[in-house]
Amino acid sequence: MIHSFSRAKVIFLILLAVFLLWYPKLADPYFLHLTVTAFLAMILASSWDILARTGQVSVGQAGLFGIGAYTAALLYKWIHLSPVLGMFSGGIIAVMVAAFLGTLTLRLRGIYFSITTIAFAEALSVIWLMTPDFAGGAMGLSTPPLFGGNREQAYYLILALLALVILTVWLIQATRLNFAFTAIRENEEVANVIGINPTRYKVLAFMISAFFTGFAGGFYSHYNTYIIPYEVFGLGISIACLVMPIFGGLYTIAGPIIGTIVIKAIEEYLRVTVSYGHQIAYGLILVVVVLFMPEGLVGLWKKTILRR
Amino acid sequence: MDWASFFQSFANGLLIAGLYAAVTLGLTLVLGVMGIVNFAHGEMVMLGAYNTFWLCTLLKVDPLASIAASGLLLFFVGLFIYRFTIRPILTDPPLNQLLLTLGISIFLQNLAMILWKTDSRSVITSYSGMSLHLGLVHVGLTRLLTFLIAVGLTIVLVLFLYKARSGRAMRAVSENNTASWLIGINVQRTYLLAFGVAAGLAGASGALVSTIMYTYPMVGFKIGLKAFCILVLGGLGNIPGALLGSLILGLTESFVGTYVPEGSGWAEGISFILIMIILIIKPTGLVGTRRE
Repeated sequence: MIHSFSRAKVIFLILLAVFLLWYPKLADPYFLHLTVTAFLAMILASSWDILARTGQVSVGQAGLFGIGAYTAALLYKWIHLSPVLGMFSGGIIAVMVAAFLGTLTLRLRGIYFSITTIAFAEALSVIWLMTPDFAGGAMGLSTPPLFGGNREQAYYLILALLALVILTVWLIQATRLNFAFTAIRENEEVANVIGINPTRYKVLAFMISAFFTGFAGGFYSHYNTYIIPYEVFGLGISIACLVMPIFGGLYTIAGPIIGTIVIKAIEEYLRVTVSYGHQIAYGLILVVVVLFMPEGLVGLWKKTILRR
Repeated sequence: MDWASFFQSFANGLLIAGLYAAVTLGLTLVLGVMGIVNFAHGEMVMLGAYNTFWLCTLLKVDPLASIAASGLLLFFVGLFIYRFTIRPILTDPPLNQLLLTLGISIFLQNLAMILWKTDSRSVITSYSGMSLHLGLVHVGLTRLLTFLIAVGLTIVLVLFLYKARSGRAMRAVSENNTASWLIGINVQRTYLLAFGVAAGLAGASGALVSTIMYTYPMVGFKIGLKAFCILVLGGLGNIPGALLGSLILGLTESFVGTYVPEGSGWAEGISFILIMIILIIKPTGLVGTRRE
């Protein structure tokens, strides 16, 4: 796999890395903020895609995101844990929850798992609303600005996490895990027969996905300085997590990244034009992709540009 | 034990169960006949509720009289959705169908937010505040009427499925669509009709929802999740299971609301907890077997 890197690709990656490291010096603060939120969304999109590689559609990533967010915020509130360690703990707790939930429900057929994940995120939202003494209830929790409000440092942290996610996805693609995940997605019974334990791999994928989603949740809570249950456990986040990679193209490294960039641009435009309901684009995109472009933007690009 | 509050909770749970059943029937019908879990079902309920709200607010139509209007409107919306989105992906993997209907659901939720804002609206009628005393319990007139209408809708659906020619075709297709096709049933048309009837039921139950709950863009999502819970409780795709599931959810919510401190808040989470417990312990549902 490593040998398959062409020289052009290596040069492109080096230039991209230099640009991304230099970027905070070039961008104005508002654009830097947009980039941070876009990177956060890319992390969510790529980690959703990791689980999707096993054929499982999670509609409740907000549950894991919210757990990460609240873990980081609560650890800060209780013991003033350093934010980065708090985010890491958020990731770890999300992994533990995913291991538990996944072991119980990932042996079920796909659609049951999807329904369980929605129920899981909504249940967490109710629990958080009903326990104001423990976790702030509907009023939410607030934390001081991350790195004293230094956006550049926040940018480098989220960039590092994004790089780690992409490295993880690349490793999954380059190793035998890719075969296991693909076999399970294509046909679970056959995968079982050839010696792959579907549930074990699905739980593994769910745990990897959960770590990054939880870490991202922790980052969000410190970066945003304020979280409420309706938002961090909300359907909006779960939907964003799945529409971005599906739009970009599933089971690819570039797909979730490209999907996120395009959708964030559309969303930013809609946010200033309509006051409510800017997620309408997500619904529309989902319908259009399923009906007309099952391989997403990456697939469309391959079909129209490469095969010309 | 305070029997008055026990019976009161029981009555409240029973009445709300009727509404849940009406909402779940359409979902059950589509799942049973076509094998599709329609995530947009709740949103069709929401559209029915808004239709009733606007008819009542703008034209002063009695909400219970507009049930037919909401049902008919959503019947045609259902035909449209089926023809242009569901039909092309009938043979796709179930997850594609899930994503498609989820997309429709998100689209309709946000469309409602754009058109009607996120305000919670309620329908008020001349008989809204009236209630009846039946022995130990007080029953709101609107709730009783919605319950009776929901029961009526259920009976009509069952009669349709067992007596009408096209209803029997639906049952045949749900048993085995290839065999149904072989004996000359138009499977495509049966699917179309089943989806339309399910959407119509959603619209009619939306009218009921608007009379006893607030109408807002996410109401369909909330009640749709409850319908999923009922579906899972009852075993997927069978009507007796859906009725039993409705009863269990309605009563559990009502008793939790009465007997648990701050219960009405917790009751909102019951359906989610039940979904997880049932799927983990007995994935085939409480009644019947799982469809493959």
